[in-house]
Formats: sequence, structure tokens, C-alpha cells
Amino acid sequence: MLFPFGFLQAQGPTYDADALAFFARVTAAGGSLTLTEKSAVNTLVLSMKANSIWTPMKAIYPMVGASAAACAQNLKSSSFTGTFSSGWTFASTGVTPNGTSAFMNTGLSPFVQMSNFSFHHSVYTRTLYGTSQGIGIFSPTRVDMIVSGSTIYSNIGSAGTATATNSISLLLASRTTATLNKLYTRGILRNTDATLLSVALPNANYYIGAENQVTPNFYSNTEIALSSLGDGLNDTQVSDFYTAVQAFQTTLSRNV
Amino acid sequence: MIGYILTNEEYNQVQGQFYTPEQFFNCVADINGVWYLFLSTQDKEDILNTSWNWILTLPEGEYIAPPAPPFPPVV
Repeated sequence: MLFPFGFLQAQGPTYDADALAFFARVTAAGGSLTLTEKSAVNTLVLSMKANSIWTPMKAIYPMVGASAAACAQNLKSSSFTGTFSSGWTFASTGVTPNGTSAFMNTGLSPFVQMSNFSFHHSVYTRTLYGTSQGIGIFSPTRVDMIVSGSTIYSNIGSAGTATATNSISLLLASRTTATLNKLYTRGILRNTDATLLSVALPNANYYIGAENQVTPNFYSNTEIALSSLGDGLNDTQVSDFYTAVQAFQTTLSRNV
Repeated sequence: MIGYILTNEEYNQVQGQFYTPEQFFNCVADINGVWYLFLSTQDKEDILNTSWNWILTLPEGEYIAPPAPPFPPVV
């Protein structure tokens, strides 16, 4: 049917170009997203751009689409598409490793991709961690968060430990200088480590669902609903990122 | 936790092999060094109609994990 007047045509949603590129990567991989997931991702991208958080990001895994094909995709770019080992369960609420053998390889090496004094990593967990479970790398230097119940051990070259009321929602560690390594949960600063960084970041791939110690270790079984890697974020950026991520999770009815 | 029990030969056959473009097998050794493979329900559906479906016929057994790593981690 011809529409002589443009205003009579049905208009689909308008998406940000980076969100659209992500949707295309999901589709090309054989995955699919609901309209609600697309809307939530689009709003997340716009919010991050509006708050100067988009540019520092190297990888953002929104864990939407309830399939390995969709959840492996990096929202930020076509680089660092993840791969999953056997043992994961994919759902609309996130991805859950089995705590025994499952991990996700991001293909991102902090040594290669990051500045030594500017690095952050985060994970949005929907369930409480168990005993000695974590994410990251220890090979031979470390970038990791190892959790045991409510105690979070964070290391970006040097070690800092924080105790939070619980270890769900957004856990984020950020180094912004050689002597400033901070740990946040729910966007709130929990610990500052001022130890001088004297080692390089590890030259190995960053793992989610376990820690990369050449072979995986510290396997976890907590449900993950987003993860990010990128340059160091300051207090304001962390707070804004938490706000954006929490809104994203709320739209998807999977916020904690 | 129940998993599929693999011989060393079967382990060498599957370890690290991709069964979808985004998913690969990862086996773990139990406390006695015996190889186990754990598959989620979705993993089993993914390999059901592939050349990997022989894995689903392997014997299953209770996995006893090696001791958990120390916490905080040893630097």
C-alpha cells in the first residue's frame, strides 16, 4: 500500500547507532532480542553516552537474549566477542555458570588493551556468591575480584579487601592512578587501596564465571546479568554507571 | 554433582572443542584425577543432533571436587 503522506506510515522505534550495531551482531550470530531488551539496551547506551561512561568502555556484556549467541556479544564493539565453556544456563534474567567447570572467555587481555594505571572491571550479580568464587585473571599478575559470601577481595595489581553487606548487584573495581585502586558495590565506595602499583597488568584473557589462572579456578555459580571492562572510572562515573545499569536491569525486571 | 566420566582418550577428544560457534567443552578433574564433563540442559539440547551426541551415552558419576582454593587468594 502506498502512503502519500509520510505521517501515515507506521514508525518503528528509533535506536542509537551503537545499539543498532549490537542488535545486528546478535542477529548475525543466530540470537534474538525482544523489543523490551532492545529498548533497555538502547537506553543503557544513551545513558552511558550522556554521562561520559561510554568512551572508557572496552567491553560491555549485557547478557540479554537468553542464548550463548546473544550473550557472547560485546555491546561496545565487534571486538572481544566472548566464548562460553560448557556448563552455562542462559535465561532472560542472565547467565548462570555451574560453579564447577563453566567460564566465559572474553578474549580481552588487560596488558594488551589497557593502560597500567587506568582499568576497571565490573559484574552485576543477581545471586549471592558462595565460598571462594570469582572473576578475572591471575597469570602471573592479577586483575580479579574473588568473593566469599559477603567479603570481596579485589586486586588490580595491588590488593585491597572490602566487606560489603552482601555481594549481589553491581560489583566494580577501578584503578585510576598508580596509587588509587577502589572497590565499589551498588555504586558506593567500599574500600580504597593506596598501595603503589609496581607490576604490569596480566597478559592473559579475562574470564567471567571463574578466574583465569592459566587453567580456570575459583569457579562461581552466581547468576550474572552484565559485565564490563574498560578504563578506570572515577567516583562520579561509577555512581552514574550504577544508576544506568540499575535502570537497565529494572526495565528487564531482573534488578536486585 | 553428577557429571559424565571421561577416559583420558575421550578427554583429549573433547577438551576445548567447539560444539557451537560460541561454546566449547571444558572438562575438570576430580579429587582423584578422573575427568568429568558437566553439561547444562541447554548444552545437551545443543549437542543432541550433532556428532558429539555420543557424549550423552557416557557413564555418569558423582564428582568430588579437589579442595577449594584459599580465601583470600594467595598473592
